[in-house]
Amino acid sequence: MISQVFILSSQGDHLIYKDCILMHYSQENSLDLYLKLVGITILLSVQCPQRNKNLNFIHVRHSGLYWVVSTKDNPSPFTIIEFLNRLAALTKDYCGSLSEKSVRMNFALIYELLDEMVDYGYIQTTSTDILKNFIQTEAVTSKPFSLFDLSNVGLFGAETQQSKVAPSAAASRPIVASHGEQVRKNEIFVDVVERLSVVIGSNGVLMKADVEGEIRVKCYLPTCSEMRIGLNEEFSIGKSQLRGYGAAVRVDECSFHQAVKLDEFDTYRILKVCPSQGEQTLMQYQLSDELPCAPPFRLFPTVEKDYGSRLLIFLKLRCDLPPKRYLTFVGISQTVARALLLFSLSQELSSPEQSAELQPRSKAVLWTIPRFPGGAQLSAVFKVEVPRLSSASLLEVGPISMSFELPKYTCTGLQVRFLRLSPTQPGLSQRWVRYVTHSDSYTIRI
Amino acid sequence: ETNKLYCTSVKCCIFELKAELNSDKKEKKKEAVKKVIASMTVGKDVSALFPDVVNCMQTDNLELKKLVYLYLMNYAKSQPDMAIMAVNTFVKDCEDPNPLIRALAVRTMGCIRVDKITEYLCEPLRKCLKDEDPYVRKTAAVCVAKLHDINAQLVEDQGFLDTLKDLISDSNPMVVANAVAALSEISESHPNCNLLDLNPQSINKLLTALNECTEWGQIFILDCLANYTPRDDRESQSICERVTPRLSHANSAVVLSAVKVLMKFMEMLPKDLDYYGTLLKKLAPPLVTLLSAEPELQYVALRNINLIVQKRPEILKHEMKVFFVKYNDPIYVKLEKLDIMIRLASQANIAQVLAELKEYATEVDVDFVRKAVRAIGRCAIKVEQSAERCVSTLLDLIQTKVNYVVQEAIVVIKDIFRKYPNKYESVIATLCENLDSLDEPEARAAMIWIVGEYAERIDNADELLESFLEGFHDESTQVTTQQNTQVLHKHTQNTPDSDNPDLRDRGYIYWRLLSTDPVAAKEVVLAEKPLISEETDLIEPTLLEELICHIGSLASVYHKPPNAFVEGSRGVQHKRLPARTASGESAESPDAGQSVGGVSDAPPAVIPSQGDLLGDLLNLDLAPPSASVPVVPASMQMGVDLLGGGLDSLVGLHRPSGSQYLSGDIGGSPIAVGLAGGTGGMPAGLGGTPAMGGGLGDLFDLGGGVGMATGSYVPPKAVWLPAMKAKGLEISGTFARRGGGIHMDLSLTNNAMSIMTDFAIQFNRNSFGLAPAGPLQVLTPLAQNQTIDVSLPLNTNGPIMKMEPLNNLQVAVKNNIDVFYFSCQYPISLLFVEDGKMDRQVFLATWKDIPSENETQYQIKDFHLNSDAASTKLQGSNVFTVAKRTVDAQDLLYQSIKLTNGIWALAELRIQSITPNYMLALKCRAPEVSQYICQCYELLLRN
Repeated sequence: MISQVFILSSQGDHLIYKDCILMHYSQENSLDLYLKLVGITILLSVQCPQRNKNLNFIHVRHSGLYWVVSTKDNPSPFTIIEFLNRLAALTKDYCGSLSEKSVRMNFALIYELLDEMVDYGYIQTTSTDILKNFIQTEAVTSKPFSLFDLSNVGLFGAETQQSKVAPSAAASRPIVASHGEQVRKNEIFVDVVERLSVVIGSNGVLMKADVEGEIRVKCYLPTCSEMRIGLNEEFSIGKSQLRGYGAAVRVDECSFHQAVKLDEFDTYRILKVCPSQGEQTLMQYQLSDELPCAPPFRLFPTVEKDYGSRLLIFLKLRCDLPPKRYLTFVGISQTVARALLLFSLSQELSSPEQSAELQPRSKAVLWTIPRFPGGAQLSAVFKVEVPRLSSASLLEVGPISMSFELPKYTCTGLQVRFLRLSPTQPGLSQRWVRYVTHSDSYTIRI
Repeated sequence: ETNKLYCTSVKCCIFELKAELNSDKKEKKKEAVKKVIASMTVGKDVSALFPDVVNCMQTDNLELKKLVYLYLMNYAKSQPDMAIMAVNTFVKDCEDPNPLIRALAVRTMGCIRVDKITEYLCEPLRKCLKDEDPYVRKTAAVCVAKLHDINAQLVEDQGFLDTLKDLISDSNPMVVANAVAALSEISESHPNCNLLDLNPQSINKLLTALNECTEWGQIFILDCLANYTPRDDRESQSICERVTPRLSHANSAVVLSAVKVLMKFMEMLPKDLDYYGTLLKKLAPPLVTLLSAEPELQYVALRNINLIVQKRPEILKHEMKVFFVKYNDPIYVKLEKLDIMIRLASQANIAQVLAELKEYATEVDVDFVRKAVRAIGRCAIKVEQSAERCVSTLLDLIQTKVNYVVQEAIVVIKDIFRKYPNKYESVIATLCENLDSLDEPEARAAMIWIVGEYAERIDNADELLESFLEGFHDESTQVTTQQNTQVLHKHTQNTPDSDNPDLRDRGYIYWRLLSTDPVAAKEVVLAEKPLISEETDLIEPTLLEELICHIGSLASVYHKPPNAFVEGSRGVQHKRLPARTASGESAESPDAGQSVGGVSDAPPAVIPSQGDLLGDLLNLDLAPPSASVPVVPASMQMGVDLLGGGLDSLVGLHRPSGSQYLSGDIGGSPIAVGLAGGTGGMPAGLGGTPAMGGGLGDLFDLGGGVGMATGSYVPPKAVWLPAMKAKGLEISGTFARRGGGIHMDLSLTNNAMSIMTDFAIQFNRNSFGLAPAGPLQVLTPLAQNQTIDVSLPLNTNGPIMKMEPLNNLQVAVKNNIDVFYFSCQYPISLLFVEDGKMDRQVFLATWKDIPSENETQYQIKDFHLNSDAASTKLQGSNVFTVAKRTVDAQDLLYQSIKLTNGIWALAELRIQSITPNYMLALKCRAPEVSQYICQCYELLLRN
């Protein structure tokens, strides 16, 4: 099973090192040697597992830190990746936030966690409910938590630019309140996060559209009580099944966290769960090919060969969302030529807050739009100087890919109808429900 | 303490920590232990504090106790005598009323691998295994596995195994899971004694525990279930039914372990059973779900799906779309997806697949584009109806004139021609237009094949072939092989005078054949070519079966059986899928026929996926190629493996995916390779021709050249530390590479008035991580005016810091008088390793691949050695000559060098007979080392 666990900084320094099966390998012999061979940055671009000198290395990356496990035998890489993800999540839950600094400050706590999570390389538990019985060390936070500190506002988990949806700083504090803290805030956050991937063909036809979504809960309630989450009643699973009379909210496939009780799900679409402290994904779902709504964007591209060696690209972008909705941060990139090294760009954009630049490494033009209201239409003209332009070069003008974020919106239409805690929590308890859709891979071919 | 000469602060740190550890205040103690552990994490040696830390052990503060135990686990082994001091506390803690402390004690004791401690461990462990608290029991269960690893006999003698077996029936699922895990591990080292004793009753218990366990426990149990072989299909079905709900678990590891159990037990179900179909349908969604995970997980999932698709293509046949590539997928995910797309391609979805592939062929990433073009070719071969569309797609791509796309397209078009002869020759004209742009061996070989094959339809075929012949000496082996055969094809009898023995032999064989029996020769050379296989690079069926049994493990990701990469994997325990029971026998198995390599019965014969030049050669004498090919039992695969590597380097095949170019002409088959290498039992016909044997020997000799570690140049000793700077100690020294290791040869001279003792040495961080591999061995005190020579072995595992100059090394030497510092420079040839000989093909590709900015030119003046002498001289210091060319009275030596840190440097050494100057061109991905390598060239050549 697991032989060693490492947490490395982005420079490759050991923040945490645990030798689970007491191999008494010196650190020099294993990971460092491996990293010396390949360099830390390579971890960004290679698949795992990687093999070096009888050891297999499996790594994931969270918050700029590398979480690495080495193993000698033939364990399941799935187990190890899941474990590393869980370790990162738990570290975040216990330390409040995840950074080199917070890991350094809380190393004793993390060692204690690791001791309970892994024994002799066997994973024991990763549940906060069980762990809280054993963990003695208190988290050290760099500064006292303040509700008014909005510097690190952001939806937990999802990497997003969204702000001002909820006092989200609340979601980046340790789950176990330290004894010094007077007020314990009883809060619970439920997030519905969807990732959209779309391929639109060169003829404007939607070729593929997938949504991957999940319902995440982050819970600060000290005592475990039952929570009931009501979803849309017309929510249906599978191809044939249809429910209710309204517009159906349909997904193809659903999977649930093992703590979720589903006895009321079939009839009332209610998820029942006793949430553990910390962050969990309660439900994951997919929908492929049949979006209930049109994709948020339509793009009308034209590529022409201008006189001389100039390539003219007209892009007209229309947002098909209702006017109340808006998108934050839209980035559009298009590969312009791949075999050619030199070219220059001139542009005409419709508003000053937008920007466009040529990215030499990916040989693409990146057009950035900070905010894009529903129903609006934007256009841009790019003139690219391409030496030795031939008609074959037109074939090389590649697909357009877009990345964006859509707050307060789900593509599938999934909604949380209600969120009830029973028995009712004594004292103040706050409940937050947040929605966001962001692009995973949104490609328009030319 | 000599360890840390550079961090003098550690010493006082330790002193301070010592004081704090002995403080009366609990908080202060705790903080001190934390500091100690922090130092431990960053690699500082804090073992000196052992007694002080152990003193803190007796505390009722759990947090402090845990910290102390953490420290103990790390240092007990290095301080066994001191560790005994802790035993009493351990034993006492095992009796503590608090279950957390009992468990903590037993967990930690198991981790202390000191023999004396294990004796004390037995009694407390026995008690803990029967503890009333499940937390203690589950910890004790794991402890048995730990103890077994230290002293297996002790565990058996003490009867712990039986207790562990009892725990399988424990009321707490966590305890069951750990007991199962421990027993599985122990039974791996005892393959014969049936420890787990899986029978229907115990399986039932496990299945019950499965529903109550934590997710991690479920994985242990499912993995254990997978080792069970059900008695019949009914039992198999009932287990499958109870495992199926795990497929919708959120933890992918649980899902994969369940998939493994199902894939294995499905084997026993009759295919006409309704349940079989249901099960197939249930397997698809969880596999598809895995593809929405993060890339790390996606990759391992795709590798597993690749196996599943080969075994049971019907599971995912409707899910083609999920394997379409996303633009932001990492490249390794894209390549895997592409592979699976081809495997799933069928007449039903081919249009969609082709449209996708065409898009991919216009992407930016070169590797991906190449693979996409190849994929189009594979589609054409797999789905006949699509061949025409594939060819026209490929022609479109050729029109883009993007160099690597064109070449890749030509390679696959050749395969299409072979699969569908006399069908698409109309495109030949377009291909011939692109002749000039072909600079890759494989593409050239393919083009030559096409020209030769369709010679009668190409007006100027002679000319074209002639033009290829001009560059004969420069060509790589694979091209020349192809040329050779194709020229013969045209019955032009000029046997080329090549310096590759392998090729020459082949040429001679043809030539002799032609001169003795033209009819036979025609038969051989122009013999019916075996058909190209539909599925390339399928995993060999027995290996596939074994890998299916390892689904979800590393083996399934590497596509290698575990014993190929697990160190000391005990015995060879090949796992097999269970055989179908009688009731299932009647059922058809459509997949079986497909995945068998097609060796046994008749056409279409499969094109081998290994290089088979040798096969060609052997076949010539064996029999006419049209004769039936003998059936090779699966065990012969070993032979291929043994030889595979050697052949690869001989023939220069480095791209297994495209290795069909060599075969075909003569009908070579992998079987011949297996025969030659595997058993040594060559057919009589072969043994009778000594010339052939010699030829083979020659072939194998080619791989030599490694292991000549003698004769490396050692510079004379220089004074590094003069006596006046070091209170009378004079140090002179040099560096040497001997027997594959690095040594620092030192002469220590005592010019002082007193005896010197207690020598120690330490290096500062340096560019290549040089560090002493052992202590400085000065065993006797150094008397006045005495000189002692010491050789200090070095390794390159030390910490790294870039030095200026790069080969600078700062050294500290300590003796009883003081610490002295000096710096010296080592020749970089010290770091040239013995396995630095690069294969020709690789060399060529790498040379092209390194951008020209990284090339540096040097002149070495006034030099009068001929190229052979220079080559030998350099070889002594691990500068290997890969190839030699002579052009216009110049000798060009192509040389490769590998440094200890894996950096390669490629060199072209130009030796002119007229002027006494050498020209050296160096290419290296790390150009900063070039100038040092050049210095070494000069140094090595002049000495």
